Amino acid sequence: MDTVASRVERIVGEFADLDPREKLELLVEFAAGLPPLPESHRARRAEAEGRVHECQTPVFLWPEVIDGRARLVAEVAPEAPTVKGFVAILSQAVEGRPAAEAAALDEAVIDRTGLAEVLGMLRSRGLRAILARVKRGLLAAVPPTTSAPRPAAS
Amino acid sequence: MAAYAHPEVLVTTEWVANHLADPRVRIVESDEDRGLYTMGHVPGAVEIDWQVDLQAPLERDYIDRAAFERLCSERGISNDTTVVFYGDKNNWWACYTFWVFKLYGHPECRIMDGGRKRWELDGRTWSTERVAPPHARYTATEQDASIRALRDEVLRHQKSGRQLLDVRSPEEYRGERMHMPDYPNEGAVRGGHIPGAVNVPWVRACNDDGTFKSARDLEKLYVREVKLKRRSPTIAYCRIGERSSLTWFVLKYLLGAT
Repeated sequence: MDTVASRVERIVGEFADLDPREKLELLVEFAAGLPPLPESHRARRAEAEGRVHECQTPVFLWPEVIDGRARLVAEVAPEAPTVKGFVAILSQAVEGRPAAEAAALDEAVIDRTGLAEVLGMLRSRGLRAILARVKRGLLAAVPPTTSAPRPAAS
Repeated sequence: MAAYAHPEVLVTTEWVANHLADPRVRIVESDEDRGLYTMGHVPGAVEIDWQVDLQAPLERDYIDRAAFERLCSERGISNDTTVVFYGDKNNWWACYTFWVFKLYGHPECRIMDGGRKRWELDGRTWSTERVAPPHARYTATEQDASIRALRDEVLRHQKSGRQLLDVRSPEEYRGERMHMPDYPNEGAVRGGHIPGAVNVPWVRACNDDGTFKSARDLEKLYVREVKLKRRSPTIAYCRIGERSSLTWFVLKYLLGAT
Protein backbone atom coordinates (compact mmCIF):
# COMPACT_ATOMS: atom_id res chain seq x y z
CA MET A 1 0.00 0.00 0.00
CA ASP A 2 1.27 3.47 -0.85
CA THR A 3 1.50 5.53 2.34
CA VAL A 4 3.89 8.14 3.70
CA ALA A 5 5.37 5.41 5.89
CA SER A 6 5.85 3.01 2.97
CA ARG A 7 7.50 5.75 0.91
CA VAL A 8 9.84 6.53 3.79
CA GLU A 9 10.71 2.83 4.03
CA ARG A 10 11.50 2.74 0.32
CA ILE A 11 13.74 5.82 0.62
CA VAL A 12 15.47 4.44 3.72
CA GLY A 13 16.04 1.25 1.73
CA GLU A 14 17.68 3.23 -1.07
CA PHE A 15 20.18 4.69 1.40
CA ALA A 16 20.83 1.41 3.19
CA ASP A 17 24.18 -0.22 2.50
CA LEU A 18 25.60 2.88 0.79
CA ASP A 19 28.94 4.23 1.95
CA PRO A 20 29.02 7.88 3.09
CA ARG A 21 30.12 9.17 -0.31
CA GLU A 22 27.33 7.21 -2.05
CA LYS A 23 24.81 8.60 0.41
CA LEU A 24 25.87 12.11 -0.54
CA GLU A 25 25.62 11.23 -4.22
CA LEU A 26 22.10 9.86 -3.76
CA LEU A 27 21.10 12.96 -1.79
CA VAL A 28 22.36 15.17 -4.61
CA GLU A 29 20.26 13.08 -7.05
CA PHE A 30 17.19 13.73 -4.93
CA ALA A 31 18.06 17.44 -4.99
CA ALA A 32 18.06 17.44 -8.78
CA GLY A 33 14.52 16.07 -8.69
CA LEU A 34 13.01 18.89 -6.61
CA PRO A 35 10.61 20.73 -8.94
CA PRO A 36 11.29 24.43 -9.53
CA LEU A 37 9.21 26.88 -7.52
CA PRO A 38 5.81 27.31 -9.23
CA GLU A 39 4.89 30.75 -10.57
CA SER A 40 2.18 31.01 -7.89
CA HIS A 41 4.80 31.13 -5.14
CA ARG A 42 7.40 33.43 -6.69
CA ALA A 43 5.98 36.65 -5.30
CA ARG A 44 5.56 35.14 -1.84
CA ARG A 45 9.16 33.99 -1.94
CA ALA A 46 10.18 37.58 -2.54
CA GLU A 47 8.46 38.54 0.70
CA ALA A 48 10.56 35.88 2.46
CA GLU A 49 7.43 34.15 3.64
CA GLY A 50 7.87 30.47 4.35
CA ARG A 51 11.43 30.89 5.54
CA VAL A 52 12.83 28.21 7.82
CA HIS A 53 14.75 29.33 10.84
CA GLU A 54 17.57 27.45 12.55
CA CYS A 55 19.02 25.80 9.49
CA GLN A 56 22.09 27.14 7.78
CA THR A 57 20.84 27.89 4.31
CA PRO A 58 18.16 30.07 2.79
CA VAL A 59 15.25 27.64 2.50
CA PHE A 60 11.69 28.53 1.53
CA LEU A 61 8.95 26.05 2.43
CA TRP A 62 5.22 26.05 1.89
CA PRO A 63 3.60 22.92 3.34
CA GLU A 64 0.09 22.96 1.88
CA VAL A 65 -3.07 20.93 2.09
CA ILE A 66 -5.37 20.98 -0.93
CA ASP A 67 -8.62 18.97 -0.75
CA GLY A 68 -7.21 17.13 2.24
CA ARG A 69 -4.04 16.15 0.37
CA ALA A 70 -0.60 17.26 1.44
CA ARG A 71 2.03 18.78 -0.76
CA LEU A 72 5.30 20.55 -0.10
CA VAL A 73 6.23 23.50 -2.28
CA ALA A 74 9.81 24.54 -1.68
CA GLU A 75 12.84 26.36 -2.94
CA VAL A 76 16.38 25.78 -1.73
CA ALA A 77 19.43 27.69 -2.91
CA PRO A 78 21.59 25.75 -5.41
CA GLU A 79 24.60 26.21 -3.13
CA ALA A 80 22.87 23.92 -0.63
CA PRO A 81 22.41 20.63 -2.49
CA THR A 82 22.21 18.39 0.57
CA VAL A 83 19.48 20.53 2.16
CA LYS A 84 17.69 20.59 -1.17
CA GLY A 85 17.98 16.79 -1.38
CA PHE A 86 16.41 16.39 2.04
CA VAL A 87 13.55 18.72 1.14
CA ALA A 88 13.03 16.71 -2.05
CA ILE A 89 12.80 13.52 0.04
CA LEU A 90 10.15 15.12 2.26
CA SER A 91 8.27 16.37 -0.78
CA GLN A 92 8.23 12.90 -2.35
CA ALA A 93 7.15 11.31 0.92
CA VAL A 94 4.10 13.52 1.53
CA GLU A 95 2.94 14.44 -1.99
CA GLY A 96 -0.76 13.70 -2.40
CA ARG A 97 -1.18 11.83 0.88
CA PRO A 98 -3.78 12.75 3.53
CA ALA A 99 -2.51 15.66 5.58
CA ALA A 100 -2.74 13.93 8.97
CA GLU A 101 -0.73 11.00 7.65
CA ALA A 102 1.88 13.34 6.16
CA ALA A 103 2.12 15.33 9.38
CA ALA A 104 3.02 12.14 11.26
CA LEU A 105 6.28 11.79 9.29
CA ASP A 106 8.88 10.63 11.78
CA GLU A 107 12.14 12.57 12.14
CA ALA A 108 13.89 9.22 12.59
CA VAL A 109 14.23 9.32 8.80
CA ILE A 110 17.29 11.57 9.29
CA ASP A 111 19.09 8.92 11.32
CA ARG A 112 17.72 5.92 9.43
CA THR A 113 18.95 7.19 6.06
CA GLY A 114 22.36 7.77 7.64
CA LEU A 115 22.23 11.46 6.77
CA ALA A 116 22.85 12.49 10.38
CA GLU A 117 26.20 10.75 10.20
CA VAL A 118 27.39 12.12 6.84
CA LEU A 119 26.19 15.68 7.46
CA GLY A 120 27.13 16.15 11.12
CA MET A 121 25.24 17.39 14.12
CA LEU A 122 24.68 21.04 13.22
CA ARG A 123 23.36 20.25 9.77
CA SER A 124 21.16 17.44 11.11
CA ARG A 125 19.68 19.92 13.54
CA GLY A 126 18.90 22.10 10.53
CA LEU A 127 17.17 19.20 8.80
CA ARG A 128 15.11 18.46 11.90
CA ALA A 129 14.05 22.12 12.00
CA ILE A 130 12.93 21.82 8.38
CA LEU A 131 10.93 18.67 9.08
CA ALA A 132 9.34 20.19 12.19
CA ARG A 133 8.36 23.22 10.16
CA VAL A 134 6.78 21.07 7.45
CA LYS A 135 4.81 19.06 10.01
CA ARG A 136 3.58 22.17 11.81
CA GLY A 137 2.58 23.70 8.51
CA LEU A 138 0.60 20.65 7.47
CA LEU A 139 -1.17 20.41 10.82
CA ALA A 140 -2.06 24.10 10.71
CA ALA A 141 -3.47 23.65 7.22
CA VAL A 142 -5.79 20.80 8.21
CA PRO A 143 -9.29 22.19 8.80
CA PRO A 144 -10.66 21.22 12.22
CA THR A 145 -12.95 18.21 12.00
CA THR A 146 -16.58 18.83 12.82
CA SER A 147 -16.68 15.97 15.31
CA ALA A 148 -13.90 17.46 17.42
CA PRO A 149 -15.07 18.51 20.89
CA ARG A 150 -15.47 22.24 21.14
CA PRO A 151 -14.92 24.29 24.26
CA ALA A 152 -18.10 25.51 25.82
CA ALA A 153 -18.82 29.18 25.39
CA SER A 154 -18.11 31.08 28.53
CA MET B 1 52.51 48.75 -0.67
CA ALA B 2 51.89 47.30 -4.09
CA ALA B 3 52.19 43.57 -3.39
CA TYR B 4 50.84 41.05 -0.91
CA ALA B 5 53.05 40.46 2.13
CA HIS B 6 53.22 36.69 1.43
CA PRO B 7 52.21 36.27 -2.20
CA GLU B 8 53.38 32.63 -2.23
CA VAL B 9 50.32 31.51 -0.21
CA LEU B 10 48.00 32.23 -3.13
CA VAL B 11 47.95 30.09 -6.24
CA THR B 12 45.89 30.56 -9.38
CA THR B 13 43.53 28.04 -10.91
CA GLU B 14 46.12 27.69 -13.67
CA TRP B 15 48.80 26.69 -11.17
CA VAL B 16 46.44 24.09 -9.70
CA ALA B 17 45.53 22.78 -13.17
CA ASN B 18 49.25 22.32 -13.82
CA HIS B 19 49.82 20.45 -10.55
CA LEU B 20 46.90 18.00 -10.55
CA ALA B 21 49.27 15.06 -10.88
CA ASP B 22 52.06 16.46 -8.71
CA PRO B 23 52.69 13.95 -5.90
CA ARG B 24 54.05 16.72 -3.66
CA VAL B 25 50.73 18.57 -3.85
CA ARG B 26 47.34 17.66 -2.32
CA ILE B 27 44.28 19.67 -3.28
CA VAL B 28 41.57 19.99 -0.62
CA GLU B 29 38.02 21.27 -1.04
CA SER B 30 36.01 22.61 1.91
CA ASP B 31 32.47 23.94 1.53
CA GLU B 32 29.48 25.00 3.56
CA ASP B 33 27.52 22.12 1.96
CA ARG B 34 29.12 18.74 1.26
CA GLY B 35 26.93 18.26 -1.80
CA LEU B 36 29.02 20.77 -3.77
CA TYR B 37 32.14 18.59 -3.72
CA THR B 38 29.90 15.60 -4.50
CA MET B 39 28.47 17.32 -7.60
CA GLY B 40 31.90 18.11 -8.96
CA HIS B 41 35.36 18.90 -7.66
CA VAL B 42 38.78 19.76 -8.98
CA PRO B 43 40.13 16.48 -10.42
CA GLY B 44 42.03 14.62 -7.73
CA ALA B 45 40.90 16.93 -4.90
CA VAL B 46 39.92 15.37 -1.58
CA GLU B 47 37.22 16.81 0.65
CA ILE B 48 37.69 18.00 4.23
CA ASP B 49 34.43 18.96 5.87
CA TRP B 50 34.44 21.68 8.51
CA GLN B 51 31.83 19.91 10.56
CA VAL B 52 32.27 16.16 10.14
CA ASP B 53 36.07 16.21 9.81
CA LEU B 54 37.32 19.26 11.72
CA GLN B 55 34.96 19.68 14.66
CA ALA B 56 35.13 17.43 17.71
CA PRO B 57 31.96 15.35 17.90
CA LEU B 58 31.37 15.73 21.64
CA GLU B 59 32.80 19.11 22.60
CA ARG B 60 32.53 22.55 21.12
CA ASP B 61 36.10 22.46 19.87
CA TYR B 62 38.31 21.47 16.98
CA ILE B 63 39.46 17.89 16.60
CA ASP B 64 42.44 16.98 18.76
CA ARG B 65 45.95 16.39 17.54
CA ALA B 66 45.56 12.62 17.14
CA ALA B 67 42.39 13.05 15.09
CA PHE B 68 44.11 15.67 12.93
CA GLU B 69 46.99 13.28 12.27
CA ARG B 70 44.51 10.55 11.33
CA LEU B 71 42.65 12.94 9.00
CA CYS B 72 45.84 13.96 7.18
CA SER B 73 46.96 10.37 6.89
CA GLU B 74 43.63 9.32 5.37
CA ARG B 75 43.69 12.20 2.91
CA GLY B 76 47.17 11.29 1.74
CA ILE B 77 48.79 14.35 3.31
CA SER B 78 52.24 14.01 4.85
CA ASN B 79 54.21 16.69 6.68
CA ASP B 80 56.02 17.81 3.54
CA THR B 81 52.94 17.91 1.28
CA THR B 82 52.00 21.29 -0.18
CA VAL B 83 48.28 21.52 0.56
CA VAL B 84 46.12 23.75 -1.62
CA PHE B 85 42.73 24.67 -0.18
CA TYR B 86 39.75 25.93 -2.14
CA GLY B 87 35.98 25.96 -1.84
CA ASP B 88 32.72 27.83 -2.10
CA LYS B 89 31.91 31.49 -1.49
CA ASN B 90 35.25 33.36 -1.56
CA ASN B 91 37.01 30.37 0.01
CA TRP B 92 35.56 31.05 3.44
CA TRP B 93 35.56 27.40 4.53
CA ALA B 94 38.83 26.84 2.69
CA CYS B 95 40.36 29.54 4.91
CA TYR B 96 38.82 27.80 7.94
CA THR B 97 40.51 24.51 6.98
CA PHE B 98 43.75 26.37 6.18
CA TRP B 99 43.59 27.86 9.68
CA VAL B 100 43.14 24.43 11.31
CA PHE B 101 46.16 23.17 9.34
CA LYS B 102 48.17 26.11 10.67
CA LEU B 103 46.83 25.43 14.18
CA TYR B 104 48.56 22.04 13.97
CA GLY B 105 51.67 23.46 12.38
CA HIS B 106 51.42 22.32 8.76
CA PRO B 107 54.15 24.28 6.91
CA GLU B 108 53.13 24.47 3.26
CA CYS B 109 49.56 25.71 2.88
CA ARG B 110 48.09 27.57 -0.08
CA ILE B 111 44.73 28.99 -1.10
CA MET B 112 43.53 28.71 -4.69
CA ASP B 113 42.48 32.31 -5.30
CA GLY B 114 38.81 32.56 -6.29
CA GLY B 115 37.94 29.01 -5.25
CA ARG B 116 35.15 27.08 -6.95
CA LYS B 117 33.79 30.20 -8.59
CA ARG B 118 37.04 31.13 -10.32
CA TRP B 119 37.61 27.49 -11.38
CA GLU B 120 34.17 27.58 -13.01
CA LEU B 121 34.71 31.03 -14.58
CA ASP B 122 38.02 29.84 -16.02
CA GLY B 123 36.16 27.02 -17.75
CA ARG B 124 38.11 24.27 -16.05
CA THR B 125 37.02 20.65 -15.68
CA TRP B 126 34.95 19.30 -12.79
CA SER B 127 35.26 15.69 -11.72
CA THR B 128 32.87 13.37 -9.88
CA GLU B 129 35.38 10.56 -9.61
CA ARG B 130 36.18 9.04 -6.25
CA VAL B 131 39.49 10.18 -4.85
CA ALA B 132 41.22 7.76 -2.48
CA PRO B 133 44.90 8.64 -2.14
CA PRO B 134 47.23 6.16 -0.45
CA HIS B 135 47.49 6.83 3.26
CA ALA B 136 50.40 8.97 4.37
CA ARG B 137 52.38 9.31 7.58
CA TYR B 138 51.67 12.49 9.52
CA THR B 139 52.91 13.97 12.79
CA ALA B 140 51.23 17.17 13.95
CA THR B 141 52.70 19.74 16.30
CA GLU B 142 50.99 20.96 19.45
CA GLN B 143 48.34 23.60 18.75
CA ASP B 144 49.80 26.99 17.84
CA ALA B 145 48.17 29.10 20.54
CA SER B 146 49.30 32.31 18.85
CA ILE B 147 46.56 32.11 16.20
CA ARG B 148 43.73 31.27 18.56
CA ALA B 149 42.26 33.53 21.26
CA LEU B 150 40.14 32.02 24.00
CA ARG B 151 37.71 34.03 26.10
CA ASP B 152 40.07 35.22 28.83
CA GLU B 153 42.65 36.33 26.31
CA VAL B 154 39.99 38.24 24.39
CA LEU B 155 38.96 39.95 27.63
CA ARG B 156 42.53 40.97 28.45
CA HIS B 157 43.06 42.10 24.87
CA GLN B 158 39.89 44.18 24.98
CA LYS B 159 40.63 45.72 28.38
CA SER B 160 44.05 46.84 27.22
CA GLY B 161 42.40 48.61 24.29
CA ARG B 162 43.94 46.48 21.56
CA GLN B 163 42.51 45.96 18.10
CA LEU B 164 39.37 43.88 17.79
CA LEU B 165 37.87 43.29 14.38
CA ASP B 166 34.25 42.23 14.07
CA VAL B 167 33.95 40.76 10.57
CA ARG B 168 30.22 40.08 10.59
CA SER B 169 27.61 42.08 8.70
CA PRO B 170 26.90 45.66 9.81
CA GLU B 171 23.43 44.54 10.97
CA GLU B 172 24.95 41.89 13.23
CA TYR B 173 27.54 44.38 14.49
CA ARG B 174 24.85 46.88 15.35
CA GLY B 175 22.77 44.21 17.08
CA GLU B 176 19.89 44.43 14.65
CA ARG B 177 20.19 40.82 13.69
CA MET B 178 21.95 37.80 15.09
CA HIS B 179 22.95 36.01 11.91
CA MET B 180 24.11 36.73 8.36
CA PRO B 181 21.73 38.50 6.00
CA ASP B 182 19.69 35.86 4.14
CA TYR B 183 20.76 33.19 6.61
CA PRO B 184 18.61 32.08 9.54
CA ASN B 185 19.71 32.25 13.16
CA GLU B 186 22.04 29.45 14.11
CA GLY B 187 21.97 30.16 17.77
CA ALA B 188 23.57 33.50 18.65
CA VAL B 189 21.78 34.46 21.83
CA ARG B 190 22.73 38.13 22.18
CA GLY B 191 22.90 40.88 19.64
CA GLY B 192 25.61 43.50 19.29
CA HIS B 193 29.40 43.49 19.27
CA ILE B 194 32.28 43.33 21.74
CA PRO B 195 32.82 46.89 23.01
CA GLY B 196 35.78 48.44 21.24
CA ALA B 197 35.57 46.28 18.12
CA VAL B 198 35.52 47.90 14.70
CA ASN B 199 33.45 46.43 11.90
CA VAL B 200 34.85 45.34 8.54
CA PRO B 201 32.53 42.71 7.03
CA TRP B 202 34.62 39.77 5.81
CA VAL B 203 33.18 39.88 2.33
CA ARG B 204 34.68 43.30 1.66
CA ALA B 205 38.09 41.65 1.26
CA CYS B 206 36.91 39.84 -1.86
CA ASN B 207 36.10 40.62 -5.46
CA ASP B 208 32.94 39.48 -7.21
CA ASP B 209 34.76 36.55 -8.82
CA GLY B 210 35.71 35.16 -5.41
CA THR B 211 39.36 36.28 -5.57
CA PHE B 212 40.96 38.47 -2.94
CA LYS B 213 41.17 42.20 -3.51
CA SER B 214 44.50 43.69 -4.50
CA ALA B 215 47.06 44.67 -1.87
CA ARG B 216 46.31 48.32 -2.60
CA ASP B 217 42.54 47.88 -2.06
CA LEU B 218 43.03 45.82 1.09
CA GLU B 219 45.34 48.45 2.50
CA LYS B 220 42.79 51.14 1.73
CA LEU B 221 40.09 49.15 3.49
CA TYR B 222 41.88 48.01 6.65
CA VAL B 223 44.69 50.50 7.13
CA ARG B 224 43.23 53.75 5.87
CA GLU B 225 39.52 53.22 6.46
CA VAL B 226 39.53 51.62 9.92
CA LYS B 227 43.10 52.58 10.91
CA LEU B 228 44.23 49.03 11.62
CA LYS B 229 47.83 48.95 12.81
CA ARG B 230 49.62 46.02 11.24
CA ARG B 231 52.25 45.77 13.95
CA SER B 232 49.75 45.73 16.78
CA PRO B 233 48.07 42.40 17.69
CA THR B 234 44.57 41.97 16.30
CA ILE B 235 41.79 39.56 17.19
CA ALA B 236 39.22 38.97 14.47
CA TYR B 237 35.92 37.32 15.32
CA CYS B 238 32.62 36.32 13.78
CA ARG B 239 30.26 33.67 15.14
CA ILE B 240 31.24 30.18 14.01
CA GLY B 241 34.68 30.87 12.57
CA GLU B 242 34.62 30.74 8.78
CA ARG B 243 34.27 34.48 8.23
CA SER B 244 36.97 35.36 10.74
CA SER B 245 39.25 32.67 9.24
CA LEU B 246 39.07 34.48 5.93
CA THR B 247 39.81 37.86 7.49
CA TRP B 248 42.65 36.32 9.53
CA PHE B 249 44.13 34.96 6.28
CA VAL B 250 43.83 38.34 4.59
CA LEU B 251 45.39 40.29 7.45
CA LYS B 252 48.22 37.87 8.12
CA TYR B 253 49.26 36.70 4.68
CA LEU B 254 48.09 39.41 2.31
CA LEU B 255 48.51 42.53 4.47
CA GLY B 256 51.34 41.22 6.64
CA ALA B 257 49.73 42.04 9.99
CA THR B 258 50.99 40.43 13.17
